[in-house]
Amino acid sequence: MEHNSNTSEFKRDLLIYFGIIALTGMIVGISHLKLKTLGIFLIVPIACAEAGVLAYYFMHLMTKKRTVHLLLLLTLITFITLLFWPAWDVAYSPRTPSEFTTF
Amino acid sequence: MSQETEFIPYIVEPREDTGLYNAKLGIWLFLASEIMLFGSLFSAYILLRVGSFTWPVQSDIQNVPIGAINSVVLLSSSIFFIRAYVALKADDIVKYKKFMYLVIGFAFLFLILKGFEYYQHFSHGEFPKTSVFLALYFLMTGLHALHIIGGILVNSYYAGPGLYLREKNKQWFINRVEVAGLYWHFVDLVWIFLFSTLYLL
Repeated sequence: MEHNSNTSEFKRDLLIYFGIIALTGMIVGISHLKLKTLGIFLIVPIACAEAGVLAYYFMHLMTKKRTVHLLLLLTLITFITLLFWPAWDVAYSPRTPSEFTTF
Repeated sequence: MSQETEFIPYIVEPREDTGLYNAKLGIWLFLASEIMLFGSLFSAYILLRVGSFTWPVQSDIQNVPIGAINSVVLLSSSIFFIRAYVALKADDIVKYKKFMYLVIGFAFLFLILKGFEYYQHFSHGEFPKTSVFLALYFLMTGLHALHIIGGILVNSYYAGPGLYLREKNKQWFINRVEVAGLYWHFVDLVWIFLFSTLYLL
């Protein structure tokens, strides 16, 4: 948020604004193609890119101090660890109703 | 106990050790906790979806055009906030207020569109109890809407009655608005993930 009032910065912000809108349009278009699993692998990275650009420019992560970067890195590592913690439980859980009877 | 150890001082200049002023460090710590809050819900969504036998085609249930419009609405409010902050730093209070009102107006527009979506779901007999997906949808978007309402309250205060704080200390007020802006951008960022996860996948 450390924005200067100069025109070039405003132009850059507008460019980012329209860029994110274009990416939103792109993921909506991809979802209409009904690509199932491939769609997930396309939509999720684009959404992450949108969020990343927003954080990088609008929240000024690019100029933030090391403290913020470390804080966010620690949060991300904790989140990803917790997210995949129960992964094996899901991997070995029954996939169809009939599999319940095998135990 | 000395004064210094009793209070966290409201400093304006960045500290040497963190490189940030205390309010900014505080909001980033808060946003980190928010990442964990929404992250836990996204984790629940992923695990429930991967572990379920059937899952609805979300784009068939959801009103994707309204969701996309809401993305544009929130993103527009984010850019208006940046303009408001720039105007505030330039001492242009009229412009600052104008842009802050636009931020608040667009936030209300977001809530109206979300309310319309909820109404559509309810009129089709789709409630949180109907399915796991709808339970997650209402929980996650409802929590996000609460964050929007919180943002509206804070932004309205800084655009209206809170402006007297500027007379007391200009730099403190600028910092407060900056911190509110970081929160507002974060709310926008969360919506990007909510829209792609709950509407498109």
